[in-house]
Amino acid sequence: MNLSLLARHSTLFSVLCGSFAVSTSLSIGLGQLKNLSDISWLDVLGEGSVGLLSIVWVFFLLISRPPGKVTSALVIGLCCFLFSASLDFYDEFLTYQDAATGLSMFESIPAAIGMFIMSYALYQWHQEQLVLNQQLHSREHDLRQHDQIDFITKLYGADYMRGQINNKLIAPPHSDFSIVMLDIDNFDQFNRKFGHAEGDRLLRQISELIIMNLRSSDLACRYAGDRFVLLLPNTGQKLALELAEQVRQAIFHLAYKPYQHPQAIYHNLTFAIDSVRPGDTTDNIIDRVNRSLDASKQLLYPSEVAL
Amino acid sequence: MKVSATKFLCLEDKYIPAHQLAASVVDYAVSRGVNKHKLLRGTRIFIEDLKSDKKISLGQLLQLLTNVRTLTPGYDCAFQIGRRLFPSNYGAVSNALLHSRDFAQALKILGLLRMQICPFFDGTSYQTSQRQYLLINPALNCHTQVQFLSEIYCSALISATKLLFGQRIPMYFSFPFQKPKYIQEYEGNLGYRLSFSQPMFSISFEKKWLTTPCLQRSDGLRSYAVKQAKMQNVPKQGFLQTVRNEINKDRQTNLDNIARQFSISPATFKRKLKLHNTHFKQLQDELGKQQATYLLQIQQFSNEQSAQLMQFNDIPNFRRSVKRWTGLTPSQLRLTE
Repeated sequence: MNLSLLARHSTLFSVLCGSFAVSTSLSIGLGQLKNLSDISWLDVLGEGSVGLLSIVWVFFLLISRPPGKVTSALVIGLCCFLFSASLDFYDEFLTYQDAATGLSMFESIPAAIGMFIMSYALYQWHQEQLVLNQQLHSREHDLRQHDQIDFITKLYGADYMRGQINNKLIAPPHSDFSIVMLDIDNFDQFNRKFGHAEGDRLLRQISELIIMNLRSSDLACRYAGDRFVLLLPNTGQKLALELAEQVRQAIFHLAYKPYQHPQAIYHNLTFAIDSVRPGDTTDNIIDRVNRSLDASKQLLYPSEVAL
Repeated sequence: MKVSATKFLCLEDKYIPAHQLAASVVDYAVSRGVNKHKLLRGTRIFIEDLKSDKKISLGQLLQLLTNVRTLTPGYDCAFQIGRRLFPSNYGAVSNALLHSRDFAQALKILGLLRMQICPFFDGTSYQTSQRQYLLINPALNCHTQVQFLSEIYCSALISATKLLFGQRIPMYFSFPFQKPKYIQEYEGNLGYRLSFSQPMFSISFEKKWLTTPCLQRSDGLRSYAVKQAKMQNVPKQGFLQTVRNEINKDRQTNLDNIARQFSISPATFKRKLKLHNTHFKQLQDELGKQQATYLLQIQQFSNEQSAQLMQFNDIPNFRRSVKRWTGLTPSQLRLTE
């Protein structure tokens, strides 16, 4: 479990502790212990678990979201809820004198306020998600599967691309699409010279560049190693060639600076394009475009190519 | 003839320096975001060991690789480890290979020093008129681990030949396991000459590549490196390989006979086999399958020739055994390629 975000939430963490402390001191300060026989253990279990789980929810929020308006609203809402839940819980053990009957009347109000704040926060979260989806365009189509995301480039892997091509093939209005396979030239040499950590960083930068050069309807995935695959919907060969050439130009102009190396290193890439043909299957298309990429690489770099 | 106990190596013998494969595997997994302590769980290896000359056993290394396989994200884990395997921290062994004369000599040196760089597999080389074959046997019998290890060492072979010869030598791989879902990694790292679900694990290439010269050939440096590597007092072969050799000498032999040759009791012998995830009958059958496939499919020998070479007295018995081992009759086996 990655807890690195937790350290950045000191304020929200104190809000959580505060709400818990206030409810505890209020109850214990004003109430008196019940007889053991009067305690309903079923209620203790039910209300106790509500309180406990809301703490767990806050914990997961804090470790998974960076600080911000939405995170604050969600946590504060949950803390109000926790305040009521813990008052409820202490109720089971304590009786209040007449002076404090107000407390038991008052105890459900924070929960209601908390729910309002959370509803507002969820609406904000929805807005935020829409913005994030836009940020993810070209990285992701209609399906989200976080376990298929590649560790290095944060693009989806080959499985996801196969799924998307498959969807395109079985979709009823049979639309044209093109597949571009691209491969960085002499990437092995680069890895050997500068180390694998630099190779990983280069892959990450190149994947960013590819994304920046695509249209919002396109999808880029990491195929294997230094090979990327692009899915271009409603695109013929000619337009696909133009787009792929633009990506190549962009990467050609990337002045990559390896760590502690004074000079920038430039990279080129080789690509192959193919469009869907009648009766194609997913494996078919991928195989065809892979082979034509290898054929053209073999002409340019005979020693590098997968034979 | 008796087999002396110092001549072969068991899973629990500690002789592998921890700063070699273990260290580079841990480095790789950590660079992929895996927790160091989780990686070493159950391996009885400590982080300090990775920087020292401490020796670990094949069994410990296997446990570490199992942890790496289950904890590291992505399908390319084994292949990336393979790419980093050579020249890495192997010192004299790597130098000997780097400075060899040509591919043929590099293979010979690899055969000689195999236990130091590739202890999980042993290979036997065979030639036909056109091709050089390496029939590969694993040092233990466990399907998932063998597939992961095959991925590591095959991609190491490809990237090492690229480094040694400055060009890629086209190799044919036959794997005993099914075609995996992540075929793109195989194609990207090993090429397209792949076949899966084969009766045996083999690597082959055209004979003409044997004379490919090494880029850094140096006879003096090589012979010094070989001498230096030989000073590492490592047994020449693994336990299963030794057992296989004994079975090969006499196909009709039985467990008790071989246990006697190893100077251990049959029960201990059985336990040792079990530690390697196999049993005597299985080893015998696998060897039969391998030999029959080699003789019939690769060498295209007749039933009579093959039966004779495999010490069978009658042809029907031979046909029945082949069918049992491979699921194919000898004539079917001869037709498949």
